[in-house]
Amino acid sequence: MHREMTEEHQHYLESDESDVFGFWLYIMSDCILFSVLFATFIVLNMPGTGGPDLKNYIDLKYVLIETFFLLASNFVFGLAVLNLNQDKIAKVQTWLVISFLFGLCFVFLELREFINLASEGFRWDYSGKASSFFTLVGTHGLHVSCGLFWVLIMIIQLSFIRETHIVKRRMTYLGLFWNFLDIVWIFVFTVVYLVGAL
Amino acid sequence: MHAQNNLPDFGTGQKTLSIYLIGLIACVILTLISFGAVMAQVFPKNITFVIIFLSAIIQFLVQVIFFLRLNTQTEHGKLNVMSFVFTGVILFCLVFGTLWIMSDLNYNLM
Repeated sequence: MHREMTEEHQHYLESDESDVFGFWLYIMSDCILFSVLFATFIVLNMPGTGGPDLKNYIDLKYVLIETFFLLASNFVFGLAVLNLNQDKIAKVQTWLVISFLFGLCFVFLELREFINLASEGFRWDYSGKASSFFTLVGTHGLHVSCGLFWVLIMIIQLSFIRETHIVKRRMTYLGLFWNFLDIVWIFVFTVVYLVGAL
Repeated sequence: MHAQNNLPDFGTGQKTLSIYLIGLIACVILTLISFGAVMAQVFPKNITFVIIFLSAIIQFLVQVIFFLRLNTQTEHGKLNVMSFVFTGVILFCLVFGTLWIMSDLNYNLM
């Protein structure tokens, strides 16, 4: 009886391993999506292209605050994973809520920035530069919003899923996704905002 | 029961608070270097350009090693790294290929 159970458990672990690898491949394909958007952005922002420059509209301090919110959210998610390893579900949920709030601040600041840009005349339908900016940063923002929704679902699921391996697997997916978004943001703020402001 | 206590890491490495903290501090410093270099405007443009890209690449590596915990310790970890490198190659071809073609077109149409 005991032997059967461990075999079954072993089977779960093996299928979980390949599931996580599949999710990793999804993230890799998402990287390629972002790389194409980056390439488009750089091409449409080469010297000599028409339309107003992003430079005149952005405030780097504002972007810096956004960056720190996303980084903090990512770090706090790491703390949640640490508590998951010690099976403290209530603590995991608390950290996830904090991580969610940081992420929410990020999305809120980004939306406010978009609205400000649009009202000051840097609109997505105005030039190729503006379109590529809103597509790239907007796609990232959309990913973060989906991630936030997912964190929320995870918090609810944590309170009634008792099988550790399922929770662990889902948290691994979410952790990979959340981390990936922060990594993409490094390149967004460097290529879009910092180079744009140079 | 043993397997329950020793949960799998799915090739994402062992997580500890100290590693996360080192990663966090490194990311904060590198972000501040990037933004500081652009906002202070003390260096010429091309040097600032090199600084922000170097710091972005270092921060990328810090995040991958300290937060994502990409490693080659296990079989799964090796698969992750392999697909990661493969993606890097495709990404490089896409971005630099595009830039190369477009700048060439730009040059020839001038």
